[in-house]
Amino acid sequence: MSPSSPTSESRLEAPDQLTAVRSLNDGGAKPPRSPSIGTMRLFRRFQSVLALIAITIAAIALSPRASDGSNIFLQPGNLTDILQQVTVIGIISVAMTFVILTAGIDLSVGSILALATCIAAKELVNGASAQGEVWHIVSAIALALLACALVGAINGAVISALNIQPFVVTLATMIGIRGLAKWFTNNANIDIGFGNDPAAVFASLLSRKIVIIGALVTVAVAFWTVLDRTVFGRHVRAIGDNEQAARYTGLPIISVKVWVYALSGLLAGVSGVLYAAENHQGNPNAGVAYELDAIAAVVIGGTSLMGGKGSISGTIIGTLILGILTNALRLNNVDSNVEMMVKAVIIIAAVALMPKGKAA
Amino acid sequence: MSKELLRAEHITKHYEGVCALQDASFSLDSGEVHALIGENGAGKSTLSKILAGAARADSGTIFVEGHEVKIANPMDAQRLGIAIIFQELDLFPDLTVAENIVIGNATFARHRIVNYKQMDDFCRPFLAQVGVTASPRAVLGTLPIAQQQLVAIARALSQKAKILLMDEPTSSLPFDAVDRLFALIRTLKSQGVSIVFVSHKMREIFSVCDRITVLRDGVTVGTRVTSETTANEIITLMVGREFKNTTASRRTRAISDEVLLSVTGLTTHKIRGISFELRRGEVLGIAGLAGAGRSELGAALFGLDRIKSGTFLIRGQRSSARSPRQAVKSGFGLVPEDRKLQGLMMQMSVLANSTLAVLQRFNSWGFLRRSEEAKAAKSVHNRTRMKAASYDAPVSSLSGGNQQKVLLARWLLVNPEVLFLDDPTRGVDVAAKRDIYEIIDEFVAHGKAVIFVSSELTELLQCCDRIMTMNGGRNMGILEAAQTSQEEIMSFVTGMATVQSEGAHL
Repeated sequence: MSPSSPTSESRLEAPDQLTAVRSLNDGGAKPPRSPSIGTMRLFRRFQSVLALIAITIAAIALSPRASDGSNIFLQPGNLTDILQQVTVIGIISVAMTFVILTAGIDLSVGSILALATCIAAKELVNGASAQGEVWHIVSAIALALLACALVGAINGAVISALNIQPFVVTLATMIGIRGLAKWFTNNANIDIGFGNDPAAVFASLLSRKIVIIGALVTVAVAFWTVLDRTVFGRHVRAIGDNEQAARYTGLPIISVKVWVYALSGLLAGVSGVLYAAENHQGNPNAGVAYELDAIAAVVIGGTSLMGGKGSISGTIIGTLILGILTNALRLNNVDSNVEMMVKAVIIIAAVALMPKGKAA
Repeated sequence: MSKELLRAEHITKHYEGVCALQDASFSLDSGEVHALIGENGAGKSTLSKILAGAARADSGTIFVEGHEVKIANPMDAQRLGIAIIFQELDLFPDLTVAENIVIGNATFARHRIVNYKQMDDFCRPFLAQVGVTASPRAVLGTLPIAQQQLVAIARALSQKAKILLMDEPTSSLPFDAVDRLFALIRTLKSQGVSIVFVSHKMREIFSVCDRITVLRDGVTVGTRVTSETTANEIITLMVGREFKNTTASRRTRAISDEVLLSVTGLTTHKIRGISFELRRGEVLGIAGLAGAGRSELGAALFGLDRIKSGTFLIRGQRSSARSPRQAVKSGFGLVPEDRKLQGLMMQMSVLANSTLAVLQRFNSWGFLRRSEEAKAAKSVHNRTRMKAASYDAPVSSLSGGNQQKVLLARWLLVNPEVLFLDDPTRGVDVAAKRDIYEIIDEFVAHGKAVIFVSSELTELLQCCDRIMTMNGGRNMGILEAAQTSQEEIMSFVTGMATVQSEGAHL
């Protein structure tokens, strides 16, 4: 590979060595590449965005008309409804992206969400705080989030310190925490009223569209920043890409994993708090199978279950694709069971079209 | 005897628009061992994959015994008697030896119900032919890598292969197994099997091959009869320019008297009572056959393996590293043997891989200062002479030599006191090897020290100040590189000789 040899710029051997190797310094000419391949690559790169655009166009085209002739799908109220509806899953999906990037999985988020609804509701309904209403609400939320983050941290600690597969550990947590939530509430919903007590104020505050959508946007931006702009985010990717190499590099694998699962628990808690406000109750049976919806959104967004590859923006797109799909089908009065079948096809199609191979 | 068996003409292959082979031609006579040589990325693996049906050429024609043939998949190749032994063996480690041989084998009659006895009987003659002593029922993964490779060859023979393509067959073998492999190659040749030997180890090619075809940038640049050419001529063809004799210059270093690392009686489950001292500015070579405990010494020093007894002092302070993380903090670095498995994050960029160990340096209030990160990567790669399309390109897009340089850069940025290099030139082309030697020289010139494990004795003699010989997890003796020879080192690593030097602790 001599710098003096101009032909050394476009060598390759294996199919995964797609990028022409050329000197950084000599700025050599790009290797010949047919236009169809360029288009193909562009398509692959932005495929999830294109899918989102396509599904939006389809939703607009198929949308029923209101009495004044306007497109119901495009009404501002409907569009913000979509965002509101995807928030609970969306927030979980954002943290799930981190988990999956480390080549892990978190099946316990649905149960953790239920736990959060119960803790928050119980704290709010039971007794008055001496420090006043605001403190009462804040402390209830804080307690719920803290408990959820703790559960997540335990997940992470067991996975990394005892070296047990994340699937198994979080499966156990999913069962155990669901049990805890039910035991804690004696298997009954804790209802939040509509009066002037702290619980009702909490519910009316946090069920506003602006708060819910704001929470999703805030979480997405914050986690995107962490993933792409911080040392921690880089470590998350590195560990997911090659954990053994990360160990040989001296990266703090255990603490990164504890943090990743703690964040997953925390965001499941955030979703739980929003869920409690929106539904006016603490519900130990809330969030069943939400972990699967979240995983679906992450996968549609192009994150690889093998770890190392993926993005928060992809996950948000995946969440929106599922949200718009649901909305469009409901506007057209399609049976919700049919909706599930359509989702199944979308998931497989998204993964089938994804660039293959390690060096995608 | 020199009847043409196989001929490939005008083979062209593109991968996503980039040219891997361009009008390459190759001819193989029956009963010959023919070397295919070229730098990494020259197209030798691609050509052998095309011949074996593992890849399809865009254009070109292939003749076997004078007839034009189509090789669209490995089954076609098998029917034509062509088999390939991949560098990373394409075997099933959890299946038995016999299962590995019969699986997908058209010459073994297919039965719906497995008859183990029939399977064993089918395999035995081929296993005997290549010298595998293990039982056909042994689980493949439990055998040493050299035996596994022989199983792969036995599989090819059982498929009635007349043409055997071997892709860098010696790259993962210990010295002694290399000699046995060469003996087998000569036997097979005498039995009429033709062998294509893909390699870039000059010494091996000259000792076993009849003819040599050189590829450069996907083009065949020449074929030479081995007895009528020289290593220098071949190297010149490979790199396309004059090349200095690589074995000539042994450099002189300024080694200080200050002991940087002092190891006494170091024992783990794999190494026993290793003692040695390492001075600032010194390169200590480690020679040993596979299983001698070379990598395990690194694992012990780097906190990967549990230390049973013994101590080591770095800068006069006792190190008690229980993890690589602690070892890094106490001034150790380790470039592992398998860069893809243990070293690089293949999906991440060149930049991210280079700076991974020192990201905290660019951390301000939790955020990465990315311009400083890029600057640091750029300055370290000025030293490594790594070449990439861009720093944002995935590291998997680089050639082996450049990947190794990225890994070296990661540790150069850490700048440890002692750097343990575990076979850093394995699978690396000639030019990159020279760059790596220079990186080592420059590193120790700054008062650091290097422990250099290598399977190539010439390389150890050329780069190191002293060479520790290992056998069975023990230090057999430390030799002055300037006053020893390949033969002497071999006699130590094979356990035929020992010395009572400062380090020998038996």
